Amino acid sequence: MTWRRFLRQNPYLFALLLLIGLIAINASIQSNFFSLRAINGNFRVLLPLMILAVGQSLVIIGGGIDLSVGAMVSLVNAILVTLIVPESGAGGVVLALLVGCSAGMLAGAFNGLCVAYLRLQPIVTTYATSFIFSGLALLILPRPGGQLPRALTRFYRSTPLEIPLGVYVIIVLLLLWALVRSSRFGQYLFATGSNADAAYTSGIPTALVKFSTYVGAGLLSAFAAFALTLGIGSGNPRIGDAMTLDSIVAVVLGGTRLSGGQGGIAGTIIGVAILGIIRSLISFANVPTWYQTLVNATIIVLALAGPGLWRLIRGRV
Amino acid sequence: MLEARNIVKHYGAVKALVDGHLSVAAGEVVALLGANGSGKSTLGKVVTGVVSPTSGELRINGKPVTFPSPYAARKAGVTAVYQELSLVPDMSVTENIFLGHELSRGGFQLQRETMRQEAERLLDLFRPTISATPDDLILDLSPSERQIIEILKALSQQPRLLILDEATASLDSQQVDRLFELVERWKLAGMAIIVVSHRMDELFRIAERAVVLRNGATVGSALMSETSEEDLVTMMIGEAVTPQRYASEGEAGELRLSVKGLRTDLLGGIDLELRDGELLGLGGLQGQGQEALLLALFGAIPFEGEMALQGKPVSFHHPKDAMEQGVAYVPGDRGNEGLVMIRSILENLQLPSWRRYGVPISQSKAREDALEVAQDLSLKMESLDAPVSSLSGGNAQKVVIGKWLLREPKLLLLNDPTKGVDVGSKGEFYTLLNELRQKGTAILFYSSDDEELLGLCDRVLVLNGGVVTAALEGKDLNRSSLVAASMGVSEEVPA
Repeated sequence: MTWRRFLRQNPYLFALLLLIGLIAINASIQSNFFSLRAINGNFRVLLPLMILAVGQSLVIIGGGIDLSVGAMVSLVNAILVTLIVPESGAGGVVLALLVGCSAGMLAGAFNGLCVAYLRLQPIVTTYATSFIFSGLALLILPRPGGQLPRALTRFYRSTPLEIPLGVYVIIVLLLLWALVRSSRFGQYLFATGSNADAAYTSGIPTALVKFSTYVGAGLLSAFAAFALTLGIGSGNPRIGDAMTLDSIVAVVLGGTRLSGGQGGIAGTIIGVAILGIIRSLISFANVPTWYQTLVNATIIVLALAGPGLWRLIRGRV
Repeated sequence: MLEARNIVKHYGAVKALVDGHLSVAAGEVVALLGANGSGKSTLGKVVTGVVSPTSGELRINGKPVTFPSPYAARKAGVTAVYQELSLVPDMSVTENIFLGHELSRGGFQLQRETMRQEAERLLDLFRPTISATPDDLILDLSPSERQIIEILKALSQQPRLLILDEATASLDSQQVDRLFELVERWKLAGMAIIVVSHRMDELFRIAERAVVLRNGATVGSALMSETSEEDLVTMMIGEAVTPQRYASEGEAGELRLSVKGLRTDLLGGIDLELRDGELLGLGGLQGQGQEALLLALFGAIPFEGEMALQGKPVSFHHPKDAMEQGVAYVPGDRGNEGLVMIRSILENLQLPSWRRYGVPISQSKAREDALEVAQDLSLKMESLDAPVSSLSGGNAQKVVIGKWLLREPKLLLLNDPTKGVDVGSKGEFYTLLNELRQKGTAILFYSSDDEELLGLCDRVLVLNGGVVTAALEGKDLNRSSLVAASMGVSEEVPA
């Protein structure tokens, strides 16, 4: 029982073992895997998804799911490249970031309003709103384009103290998460995700808790869009669309329960790293990239089927 | 302390409460009584802010208040121990006790250690009747321990009015005794307490006054010292009923079922024999393995041991096997196991029997048969096409039984079928059981209601901890021997 509790409190253990194994395999194939250059490159590519998946974790732990996070990334990306031109000064960039944050939070608030207060189904609602956000992105930026100031993209590539920028971001995210875990809101979040009725009768404002997870996911989607935009230096109104599924896969890989009430963001970050390494292995193995989608989808189905399969294997239904 | 006047609550067209009155003083224990559908649970929910009344007045210490949410009621000092558990399974005992009122500095820096110690102190109140620790997860606890955590959770908020809604339902007798000692102590400390319980004897043990509801209205109030169980029951149902014996003396037919040494993880070797036309009762405290026995016989859980129908050994691997041999099981949990709530009465009645109506299904024949059963059961419904969710508890239970009657079972397994069913429907149900016996159906009947077992059965097996502690019949079948056996007292009780 103590072992079970240990696993329950550290649900990312399985993911961590998987990650170590995959790193070992990848390092044996790719000799320069541990060079600062390669590591920084990997962090740059994975950071947007990490931030996005952290937002997804919030929503899933609170008992919901957000299928519009990718569309929100597209929307904020479109806003950024429209407002920032190569000649933009610091003031213009800050203004654009503020507009991007507001857009993400407004989009999240809209999701939260529908799910928490109008009590619509999260899956259907956020799937529908994802088309609204995609549509807005296409309205703002009808075709790929735009260019960011060199200074910005250089900043994103920087490695202060020989450590990739992404590491700092992850540390900040983990610190914020520790703050949430040690706060009353953290208790409310997990209670709402685990048993919303029980939480409500305990006097917890469950609607507000759910609402805030969607707003949080919206804000983090905006941050993910910042990282993504700085990474590629230009805009594409469809750029985030494929990230939604990845974000859910990362959450699941990280040991967070899809039905809510259990998990954490450390696992999610590990989950994103696993996805990144699988992707790099697939490209090394010289197979078509759509295998990545196949792998992702298989992981979700296995995660959903896991408990049932376990019961079947033990021979009792 | 609290006064509720002229409380009205409508759910759409349904009038759950038409005129509810309730008052309780500090240091007083009031029993809230009523049959199912009397509105007593609705009144309780209004007082705790779970539902908002359509109209009416709530006062606390003379001041008018409104409770838009449970949180508002709690801030005013009103806390309930819910029958439907309000615990979060994935969280620890401590986290659950303090859920919604965590100790923290400004919302951050939860004071986990202080809360842990306080939880330990609260758990000590019930020692040694529980073994849970502050760090245990709720999902690892037994139902009775969960119920006690629920009580402690309410208590941790230092309420001025505590509502115990069927709080003893899953407790064992020592835990109940301990709770009542504590209630006495809280009362002396000036707490107002409202008790809702289906166990009349418990109410007489702790309550000073009873408030009785009938058909959504408060019909009276009486001091416990000046009333009797019969008087209260009379107030509840509106007419005098004497405890009666419903059983008709049928002659026992051939041996239908025999079981030897049946074991599961909950059962430790059960032997029993049941003849056609016999009504065999299963008694004892709740959760002593009665349900496991019924499920094992129905092929729903695996077991070791021998089972024979009409002398022929059988082994069921699936309820389907049992059904083919004429065995039917009526579950206690209507909503989850017995019915598909949103589908029509017709579909529910015919659910186990569709294959008898061929391909394609002969709808008119199915409808005819279903209507016949519905009439036999005097089912009160709009039409066969109305959804089951539109029926009252008693009528819904009839549908559960009806769907098996359509298969004309030879052996009927009943798992506490009258739980949550009103008095009138119970009477109809007893008549039905007697009719079935006369047709020669063998019935194995588990009930958590001792009166029912005494009134209906020829013979009662009492289970305690997964074994039969007594087989009572004839003049040995009386309340004192039944209670003694269910408490595990083995010596003979003088009749």
